[in-house]
Amino acid sequence: MRRSRPLLGTYVEITADNSGIVEAGFAAVERIQALMSAHDPKSELSRMNCLAHRQDVEVSAETFAVLERATHWWRSSGGVFDVVAAGERSLAEARIPRHSAQPRPAERDFRTVTLDGRKVQLAGPACLDLGGIAKGYAVDEAVRAMRRCGADRGLVNAGGDLYGFGAEPWSIVVVDPRTRRPVVDVLLHDEALATSACIDGSSAHLPAGADWLSVTVRAPNACDADALTKIVWAAPANVEELLRGAGAHAFGIRPDGRIEEVGRPALAA
Amino acid sequence: MAASWFRILPAAAVVAAAPATATVYLSIPEAQAALFPGARFLEHPLTLSDAQRKAISRAAGAPAYDKVERVWEVRSGDRRAGWFMVDRVIGKHEFITYALALGPDGTVRGIEILEYRETYGGEIRNPNWRRQFVGKKPGSALRLDGDIRNISGATLSSRHVTDGVRRLLVTYQMLLANI
Repeated sequence: MRRSRPLLGTYVEITADNSGIVEAGFAAVERIQALMSAHDPKSELSRMNCLAHRQDVEVSAETFAVLERATHWWRSSGGVFDVVAAGERSLAEARIPRHSAQPRPAERDFRTVTLDGRKVQLAGPACLDLGGIAKGYAVDEAVRAMRRCGADRGLVNAGGDLYGFGAEPWSIVVVDPRTRRPVVDVLLHDEALATSACIDGSSAHLPAGADWLSVTVRAPNACDADALTKIVWAAPANVEELLRGAGAHAFGIRPDGRIEEVGRPALAA
Repeated sequence: MAASWFRILPAAAVVAAAPATATVYLSIPEAQAALFPGARFLEHPLTLSDAQRKAISRAAGAPAYDKVERVWEVRSGDRRAGWFMVDRVIGKHEFITYALALGPDGTVRGIEILEYRETYGGEIRNPNWRRQFVGKKPGSALRLDGDIRNISGATLSSRHVTDGVRRLLVTYQMLLANI
């Protein structure tokens, strides 16, 4: 069976053999949304954005895991992946709200964040936005919950960040962001696929740059796939090394419609 | 050397593909059974006057498309278990019917997408694309879609459904809460 619900600001679709497994997957996604939504004033993320510049804020294991992975990608990408810079942009462009108790950000990059145990500190007022990585993490959490329920196959798709598992591979089409026409297909087998694209010329988590219309990353987990789409988009010098280190591969659609694998010569369209 | 882990679809296949993709997740009876197992459903359609629609739109800050809201009172034994509503919203690329389950006090118990249709490219700006849905009853589509597609692409916002739910909650407050 296949179900779809509006979650994480997009449509989350879960395919599995029975409703118990589907419900376990959605419950995991709802938990991540409750912890990491920038729109919910009661989320752990909003609590950090309101308080962590004044006092340590203790967070759940899940939020901490996402922050640790965000730290890893910030460090290894030379600052290209930065959830603090993304938060400032999202706030400035009114894509996320500033809650009543939330200060205006004075800090503009991830150097302001210190993680200690499960405690988060900010050197000054800052706005973190985990939208560029938490969706992938939510997919991974849904898959873990479904497997704990005994699922031996399933697919979780959170608006294009997806993970498919089971004996048979899942067929996925990647669409051109301008037309939504399918242009590539991929067989996915116990792996994640994430696509980031520029719709209407803007996306908070994508650094400026016109090299790609869309970037797709295949990786062992959806959290890394999600973060790596933004890194591939920004094209730091070590991008191939970062992909290799994560066991990931990537291709993108160029503005002229050509499809190229990252780190390989152009393929015929 | 060509990559082996993805396949570029030949342009001919892309052109031949249907102009729109539809996924039916649940029929109305299936959604009723999933959201209120074992309950009875009494149809209670709400015919809205223009003034009512305007008031609801204004209070919810979201447009209202339909003159009749499809509503069921949910009964369990001799008491009311809640309300079940079916609604539709139209996005830029997509047409969505969904079901909203409310408890007897109007709290949201669940939201399920019943049907999702998405269009490709040229059809998006074409007003005929929207027109084809006028008068269509939510959930009435047959399960035509043999090959269900799994799509990876730019994230589509679920804001239209969120707006629709807000409108239904206002509708509940104005017209159902005191029944």
